[in-house]
Amino acid sequence: MPENTYLFLMATTMAGVSLLLRAFPFLAFGHAKDGGHPPKIVTYLGRVISPAAIAMLVVYCFSAYFKETPLPQKSWGMAELLAGLTVIGLQLWRRNPLLSILVGTILYMFLIQR
Amino acid sequence: MTSKVFKAAFTSSLPVLMGYTTMGAAAGILLAGQGNLAHPSLWGLLTSATSISGALQFICVDWARSHTPLLQVAFLTFCLNIRYAMYGLSLLERLKGIPIWKKLYLIWTLTDETYALEVENKTPPGESSLDYCLLVASLDHLYWIVGVVAGTLLGSALPFNNQGIDFAMTALFLVILTDQCRERNNRTPAAIGLVCALVAKIFFPVEKMIIPAMLLMLGAFLLFRNRLDRQEVQPNA
Repeated sequence: MPENTYLFLMATTMAGVSLLLRAFPFLAFGHAKDGGHPPKIVTYLGRVISPAAIAMLVVYCFSAYFKETPLPQKSWGMAELLAGLTVIGLQLWRRNPLLSILVGTILYMFLIQR
Repeated sequence: MTSKVFKAAFTSSLPVLMGYTTMGAAAGILLAGQGNLAHPSLWGLLTSATSISGALQFICVDWARSHTPLLQVAFLTFCLNIRYAMYGLSLLERLKGIPIWKKLYLIWTLTDETYALEVENKTPPGESSLDYCLLVASLDHLYWIVGVVAGTLLGSALPFNNQGIDFAMTALFLVILTDQCRERNNRTPAAIGLVCALVAKIFFPVEKMIIPAMLLMLGAFLLFRNRLDRQEVQPNA
């Protein structure tokens, strides 16, 4: 697929699914007489999927670092581990997302560019 | 619409101005640093204006690089943004009976931060809270677009070795996860997601692990629903 076609379809898919999710309650329950009470299973899944998906993405991101280079040749992932722990530690301590991301990323760039 | 309501909306949106422009810029720099895009600013503008989603803005850089199948794009977008559907549920009553275009714009621009400001609703006395919400939504929307586009321009202009800059995405997800795990009820679901992803990673290459991991997760959630649903009723310890 040509680059621009893919990027356009990717952007459309992202935007379309996001809009549908945002509009879902209004489409599904907007006309209900009781003001709209969704089935319990919907609220339940909506609540639990979110943290699980983020945890999955963390695993996904970390795995991607070792896709091409096996563990031993990347110092057993020390740079990734150190930068990751820094991010978690800073976030627990200061609760400032931007600070945690910035410091973690700069540390990681420093570690792998040496 | 009066200047009074604009002033109130702008004041409430100031923390979002700081957050969105910096976070957007980080995502923009990442997009420009991807390297093989001909017009990063254009794609940054399109995606930020239409999707308005932080996590997506970061991860789409990865998709653009590896031409991830669109089905997987749709699936991950769904999982990442399903919380927006929950926000809408609590706005159902408040948005009833307002003009369709205004309603559509408020739905389209719903993000974590905008939702929080709309619920907080600091409309000055005697002013229209609909005007206030529309202003907050459009200001936040604007901040996000400006941040991302500025980031792509910055990223293309700065001649530095950006190897490893993609760790910003990993860091973002770690930050979200850390914050979610402060709440007790989120810990078991997060652990289930972690285990399912690791199991999927054992059996599939990294670029194909997302869908099996999601299916495992759904299965686990349906299987353990009785126990996990009970957690919800407990007061937050």
